[in-house]
Amino acid sequence: MQAQAAAATQKRDATLLDVCEQLVALARKAGASESEAYAERTRESSVKVREGNVEELQQATSKGVGLRVITAGRLGFAYGTDFSKEGLRTLAARAVSLAKSSAKDRFNELPRGSQLGHGPDGAYDPAIEDIDPAWKLRAARAAEAAASQADRRVRKFEGTSAGDFLARSAIASSRGASGESKASYAYVVCSPVAEADGQLQTASWSDTRRRLAELQSPEEIGRIAAQRAARMLGARKVKTQKAAIIFEPEQAAGFLAGLSGAVNGDLVHKKSSFLARHLGKRIAPEHVTVIDDATLERGLATRPFDGEGVASQRTVVIDRGVLKSFLYDAYTAGKAGARSTGNAVRGWSSLPHIGTSNFVLQPGERGAGEILRGTRRGLLVTAMLGSGANVVTGEYSRGANGLWIEDGQIVHPVQEVTVSGSLLDMLQAIDAVGNDLDLRSSTAAPTLRIAEAVISGS
Amino acid sequence: MSKSVRKPVPARAPILPLLLLEKLLSAAMSRGAEFAEVYVERSTTTAVSLDEGKVRSAQVGAVTGVGVRAIRGAQVGYAHSDDLDEAALLRTAQTAALIAEGNRDPGPVSLSRTPLPTYYQVHQPLAAVEVARKVELVREADAAARAHDRRIRQVTAGYADQTREILVANTLGHLAEDRQDLCRLGVSCVAFGKGGERRTGFYGGGGRVDFRFYEDFSPAQVGRESARQAIATLGAVPAPAGPQTVVLAPGWSGILLHEAVGHGLEADFIRKGTSLFAGKLGEKVASELVTVIDDGTVAGGRGSLNVDDEGNPGERKVLIEKGVLKGYLYDHLNAKLTGQRSTGSGRRQSFRHAPMPRMTNTYLAPGDQTAAEIVGGVHKGLYCRQFGGGQVDISNGNFVFEISEAYLIEQGEITRPVKGAMLIGVGPEALKNVSAIGSDASFDPGLGTCGKDGQSVPVGVGLPTVRIDDVTVGGTGA
Repeated sequence: MQAQAAAATQKRDATLLDVCEQLVALARKAGASESEAYAERTRESSVKVREGNVEELQQATSKGVGLRVITAGRLGFAYGTDFSKEGLRTLAARAVSLAKSSAKDRFNELPRGSQLGHGPDGAYDPAIEDIDPAWKLRAARAAEAAASQADRRVRKFEGTSAGDFLARSAIASSRGASGESKASYAYVVCSPVAEADGQLQTASWSDTRRRLAELQSPEEIGRIAAQRAARMLGARKVKTQKAAIIFEPEQAAGFLAGLSGAVNGDLVHKKSSFLARHLGKRIAPEHVTVIDDATLERGLATRPFDGEGVASQRTVVIDRGVLKSFLYDAYTAGKAGARSTGNAVRGWSSLPHIGTSNFVLQPGERGAGEILRGTRRGLLVTAMLGSGANVVTGEYSRGANGLWIEDGQIVHPVQEVTVSGSLLDMLQAIDAVGNDLDLRSSTAAPTLRIAEAVISGS
Repeated sequence: MSKSVRKPVPARAPILPLLLLEKLLSAAMSRGAEFAEVYVERSTTTAVSLDEGKVRSAQVGAVTGVGVRAIRGAQVGYAHSDDLDEAALLRTAQTAALIAEGNRDPGPVSLSRTPLPTYYQVHQPLAAVEVARKVELVREADAAARAHDRRIRQVTAGYADQTREILVANTLGHLAEDRQDLCRLGVSCVAFGKGGERRTGFYGGGGRVDFRFYEDFSPAQVGRESARQAIATLGAVPAPAGPQTVVLAPGWSGILLHEAVGHGLEADFIRKGTSLFAGKLGEKVASELVTVIDDGTVAGGRGSLNVDDEGNPGERKVLIEKGVLKGYLYDHLNAKLTGQRSTGSGRRQSFRHAPMPRMTNTYLAPGDQTAAEIVGGVHKGLYCRQFGGGQVDISNGNFVFEISEAYLIEQGEITRPVKGAMLIGVGPEALKNVSAIGSDASFDPGLGTCGKDGQSVPVGVGLPTVRIDDVTVGGTGA
């Protein structure tokens, strides 16, 4: 297999910032008092195998640009994929015309001056840009083969894929924002299905890194995926009860992601977050510290500036159990009388809105095994279903799969139960924090134990 | 490859010239693929949003692109481009062709238009409706929600529509075109209660309908319903945890079918043997009261398709009949590989995605009881009126869905509101426990979006009032 087609389109990347600057100029001509353009170009390719054969080969380049304009305090936004002179002119006219439909709002202002700037660039690995197309096929096959060999009850696969993703973006605004950034990612994902006694159990394991050399080996990924599927065979419900919950790092990250909505400055400002009234108060034990850090070395979400050109920064959200800060973009910061924390996230087809960068619960000192052995009775959660956290009401309820623990030992796999509780209670009940933090996703956490939550089952 | 006789070119020009389409198909076949397809999409999306009583933004996006797929056996090559010049498109077709590893002159492809049924007719494209009228919808909804009750303190309202023209051409000689308009109005409310209590409501709707739809389905009514939900659940007590009898109100509760059985009947999972429904055709998989239909032909339905994203007409499929598994949902590839025919279920989010088997509008056929009879027959249980999202694990059948508005049933009466409830079960077991079905069949108002493998597509669901025994309710109460 070859991949020559994509290379040809890469050269034009140099024009991304030009496209943005042209749009800003066109918007001014069309009558915008302020404008900001954000453009992206991506290249992605992936190989999916099943039973040793290539099942899908995907390859593409994409581009797009979004233009935000403010005229007389009114906001308009237009986006498109046509970078021709005519296409950009249409886009500018459209955005300016749309602004007439929205309401005047004195907080509609683009960030400027000292807010703008560049933090450190995130990792960009030329090895991913120049990746040997055969690597993806080899990696996917190796992961699948390792999964098959790891456990003989693994006989089927949803699929195993390997791929790479390159993204370049640029921003320019009439208020002086100007910048370019780039990112590279490589990944391997394996989803085997284990089967025994008529029961099927699937599990998925993947690794995504910005540097190729940091990627977990495909064999390791396959083996872990197989073990995770096989160990769920024979899963059954447990009785409805209160018990300890241990979240594996991936599930702890999911729990943290649910919480991240509660520190969104917009919901807080509207008094619609359960944490709105808790700033400066203790909401978790001493060993819980959460930091949003867009400058983090090796972070998957590390970037020099946010979606509106504000320099990336590190924000301590929870400091040793005390809620220290919420997250803001420029608009919400203006309304709330706060400062942007550089947390505007966006794509070219959306307006900036508040989101996390690398949102990380800092590691503790205890090993995951030690935490498990110290648990008398509880559920080690290994996979979850549903969205879970409601940050407005502060309720949490989510379907869970996992392993049942009695006296520090795993006794049997569990499925068809839910884990429920109040988010505030659950935060305060975090009684163990593992030392096994790995930045496998932009929201990341080590193993966490919650002393008690409700498990609903039979 | 079959060849068809070229018919006279119809009056309206396709998004890409016929000759170029044929050239792209030939290029995609040039390395020995057995089948190739070109998918062209041109879409305009309009959205307005209102927050804190103000129209926050109005936006329009225009995206055009082409996806090319080449298939050989079970192998798929897929490439896409948003550059529409001939050179870029040919490169894209050649990239997709790489799935096959040979060199072969595929011969010419000639296309002829496939006549299509009409399950939705939006006279004026939604993209052509003035933005000011769309702004008016969110304003009215906001005002009605706030007027409903003083405790409604936060309202966000959003309206979005899409006018999407698609063209699918393949090496079987088929050329199908469709215009798929879709709109959706949604209103979220937060009610502020005592002691910092917050409850939420959400309501809205739309479909593949004319903008006039909102004359009957009025934004004021949408705003009031959203507000009602938030107010009704103030003071709710924790939902009782554990197995119990539940009664689902009609409509959006159809998400039960979508999660509990629908996904597990999609032919990709069936072919790979990774769904617990694989190999169970003809077997009893549900209570005999249960008949499940996936129907792409519902007039104006959010999930309806004149033509799917592979050029096949939308269909009505009986999936489960009186409890017996009757059929699966097939796209082109999985049908071909298993000797079946496509059921018009091949869908994709956009030209950037390869199609896969998906649901359209999935519903449960009505029974003969009234809702009052069904509730009245429950001594102790949970009445579920409004629902959030859901999810399913295809292999073990575990599904969940969130209940956003629920009440206790005590001695056949709906009593106190409860909070934080969620249903969890295993698809076939839950359907075997269906013990009563109402005559009040109803579709959801047109809000659903289904995600699979990173692709989102609009879907509809429907359910009459249904009683299910022995369902596990996730909650924190006793």
